[in-house]
Amino acid sequence: MSTVSVRYIVDDVDAAIAFYRDHLGFNELMHPDPAFAMLTVGDLRLVLVAPVPAGHPGGGSRPMPDGTRQRPGGWNRFMLEVPDLEAAAAKLRAAGVVFRNEIVTGIGAKQVMIEDPSGNPVELFEPIRPEARLQGA
Amino acid sequence: MTADPLDALRLPVVPVDPRPRFAAGLLRQIAAATGDSADPAAGGADPAALRDNPTVRYFVRDLATAIAFYCGRLGFEEELVAAPGFAMLYRGGLRLLLSVSGVPGAGAPLPDGSVPRAGGWNRITLQVTDIVGTVEALRAAGVRVRADVSAGVAVSQALIEDPSGNLVELIEPAAGYRERT
Repeated sequence: MSTVSVRYIVDDVDAAIAFYRDHLGFNELMHPDPAFAMLTVGDLRLVLVAPVPAGHPGGGSRPMPDGTRQRPGGWNRFMLEVPDLEAAAAKLRAAGVVFRNEIVTGIGAKQVMIEDPSGNPVELFEPIRPEARLQGA
Repeated sequence: MTADPLDALRLPVVPVDPRPRFAAGLLRQIAAATGDSADPAAGGADPAALRDNPTVRYFVRDLATAIAFYCGRLGFEEELVAAPGFAMLYRGGLRLLLSVSGVPGAGAPLPDGSVPRAGGWNRITLQVTDIVGTVEALRAAGVRVRADVSAGVAVSQALIEDPSGNLVELIEPAAGYRERT
């Protein structure tokens, strides 16, 4: 069913599974290796991988040819639409989830960034204009 | 035969891709909104009542260059451009938002002064049918390849960079490998 795939690098796959499942409603599709899991929500498939050594069979998180290791973090992120951003943020904050910023109102949506246990950003947004909704154009 | 006098007024017909996955997603959302809960994901997850058409935001240095890369090299379609800081592209079911670092909006500095910027290792994954040929064609076109094609458990994969240094992962399922869902 998933049509879109995003790969996030995490330090601890089990902790990441718990975060995305318990706080954001993802379902675990498979977790065949300690360094690899596949979760889904709606049409999004989230592939969680921990960095592995060069000889590891899992190819997605091996070091680069120059030896550079893949790490969590950065600013690029997937986004989840919520119907009530204040309520969602309050609930997540009460659950101890780390916020990178406060709710900001942009042109098309109110948005806020949370972090998974490895420090990867996830953006939550509530559209304030109809064209920002996840319906295509 | 005389030409139709209205021919001069006719506009060229531009083919429009109906984006069937978007249409299907929209129908599911309508069904969910009208109480006909066809999509369990739409209403089940609290606090995030999640919807279809996954969205990813990438930070870029230059909007026009990024749009040219994603549309010209990777088959994205331009949906909305709000220069100088923002664009919305589509490819299949994926909505890709491009935000320019330092520009008001998503690219604005955070309260602690940090500025969202391109880079990192998290990435979108695009499936292709001939990964070796695709990577070679991209390389020939001047696209930077960070990791060449290598075989994993179920897929072959490669990492390319957009003009800002953001990663895009290309995958091709291994022979005999089929999605279970």
